Amino acid sequence: MTIALEIKDLHVEISDKEILKGVSLNIEHGEMAAIMGPNGAGKSTLASVLAGKEGYTITSGSIKYLGKNLLDMPIDERAAAGVFLAFQYPVEIPGVATSAFVRTALNAQRRHRGESELDGIEFLKLAREKAKELEMSEDFFQREVNVGFSGGEKKRAEIFQMSMLSPTLAILDETDSGLDIDTLKIVAAGINNLRSDKLCGIVITHYQRLLEHLKPDTIHILADGKIVKTGDKSLAILLEEKGYQGIIEAA
Amino acid sequence: MTNSSNIKNRYYQSYNDNQSLLPGLELSWIKRLRDDAITQFNQDGFPDKNVEEWNVHPCKGLSDTFYDPCQENNYEIDVKSIEKKDSNCLIRVIFLNGKVINIEHDTLPAGIKVNTLSFYLKNNPEFLKGKIKSANEYSEVRLSNIIDSRPQSIVALNTAFHEDGAIIHIDKNIEVPGFIELLHLGECEENTMKHIRSVIFLDKASKCEVLENIKQHKNNNVVFTSNVTDVHVSEGASLSFVRFIEGNSKNLHINNVHVQLDKDSKFISTSLINSKGQARAETRVNLLGENSSSKINILMMGTNNSLQESLTKVKHSTKNTKSDQIIRIILDENSRGSFQGKIRVDVGADGTLANMSGKSLLLSDNARVNSKPELEILADDVRCSHGVTVGSLNAEQLFYLRSRGIPENEARKLLINSFGNVIINNISTNLAKRAKNLMLEDSNKND
Repeated sequence: MTIALEIKDLHVEISDKEILKGVSLNIEHGEMAAIMGPNGAGKSTLASVLAGKEGYTITSGSIKYLGKNLLDMPIDERAAAGVFLAFQYPVEIPGVATSAFVRTALNAQRRHRGESELDGIEFLKLAREKAKELEMSEDFFQREVNVGFSGGEKKRAEIFQMSMLSPTLAILDETDSGLDIDTLKIVAAGINNLRSDKLCGIVITHYQRLLEHLKPDTIHILADGKIVKTGDKSLAILLEEKGYQGIIEAA
Repeated sequence: MTNSSNIKNRYYQSYNDNQSLLPGLELSWIKRLRDDAITQFNQDGFPDKNVEEWNVHPCKGLSDTFYDPCQENNYEIDVKSIEKKDSNCLIRVIFLNGKVINIEHDTLPAGIKVNTLSFYLKNNPEFLKGKIKSANEYSEVRLSNIIDSRPQSIVALNTAFHEDGAIIHIDKNIEVPGFIELLHLGECEENTMKHIRSVIFLDKASKCEVLENIKQHKNNNVVFTSNVTDVHVSEGASLSFVRFIEGNSKNLHINNVHVQLDKDSKFISTSLINSKGQARAETRVNLLGENSSSKINILMMGTNNSLQESLTKVKHSTKNTKSDQIIRIILDENSRGSFQGKIRVDVGADGTLANMSGKSLLLSDNARVNSKPELEILADDVRCSHGVTVGSLNAEQLFYLRSRGIPENEARKLLINSFGNVIINNISTNLAKRAKNLMLEDSNKND
């Protein structure tokens, strides 16, 4: 297996406060990596920096994705290159229908990659198929993006977008938070459906439950801006027993 | 003598010198209407910053220049060169420089009468009596009970000088299939003014959609135009009214619509205002009959150094009436915008439901907007709300769209459009497609 994403000694500040203090992490093609860690450790910051959100200062370090310098790429180019962030708090966009939004995004990415755009019929066919997999009703195509969606609907809509855009690097930022057990299962199945030997996944979560469904290959503990421990799924079980404090102290 | 009172006198003089150009003066009531109006204008002059309705941009460009109201134009236009009538359009009235030059329609169903003001003045003046109202009937009645005619000075000027207009008369129980378009084209001499006075009268239980489409002038002369429309919606009738106002950087347009609503009647209006010069749209609605309702939606868009203004006054005069106002303002570059909206609930108008929501989106550091929502409630049992916000593009939304692969420019456009969509998506069926096409034409022009 080859390395798809290579984060090297990444230091990141927000308004002069250092949040990430030297994160190094390699993820291979086909690998599903989980990042766990206490509140305020910098998990969401790492996700945002990968997607290209503004407002963060990268003071040193590098991120290479498929051999390219990710930090040099504008947000939308990263997406076209296969980066997808499932938001912890999906953003409401009144006045834009969900289907119009996803179609605009999909076609913008295809255009960027020099592929032909999908017409309305082709798009609808694909969208119906994906919505069915996630047990979503089709009315939501016409609903405004995330407006009036319940917590579960919002997260499901994120996975729907992900499956429509079929990324090669999927970052799931606390996608399991606020989901009931049944919805969690559907969402996890949706993510598992996308797994391939190409896709690398980063799952940020606080809970063991999502990991039971996703069966990540590696688990990394991020604490105070650094990866303090890396292991396999037994680490998550240990974590449930000892808590972060126990593991951080031992590390 | 100050410059502005000098200019005021020139209008008075011009009125006395050019009576032969003003239609209908042989009718005593029209003569009185026009005489009273010029007298009132001469007394009030152009409203200055002391007039509440005008205090944001008091008659910018109007009070210091004389615009000749009676200058004849030699411009002509080949009707065939005008874009074809929309397929949903039943009747199209084409104005050039304030006068009707053509009325096109296929076979008309009975009960739908559309003609020019001059035609009606010659052939059926009785119909117009009381429908073209004198300017002082539109005076503002202040809370202090003072009757203030100054805000309606431009309407007075229009009443004195109007040369033509469209008269739309829909008979009882008639539902007009398709919409009626009033298309205003212009190509005027420098420093001239054109006044148009129209009447829309819907008889009981009739239904009609009207588009007032004001195009920017073809040439780049400084021109002032004023359109005043008197609207009466009778019992159980319903009018959808869309105004589309554009203008070039030298155009100054003021548009007034006065609406009287009888029992169980409906008025649904959308104003799309996008002038590169100055445009002001006033909408005054009087809910006179029980269970009447009014919807006023306004979208204003400004670029460069343009000025877009809107004023609404909704008066709930009787029990159980309903009104809604949605205003969206999008300003870029150095443009200016203002919105003043008032809901007045009269004594005894219990059971009133009135809402107003105004949102402004500023796309540049140099754009400015003034928003003033007002409620005057003199009844006890009412439900009223108003809200006004001003902001810029939301960075979180922009990031969200871009993170899905939508390039920044496209994402900005999507967000700007979505801000205005609440107005565009609420346009009545026959007019929706036409309005969307007009918007599209316009945004392509701006690119």
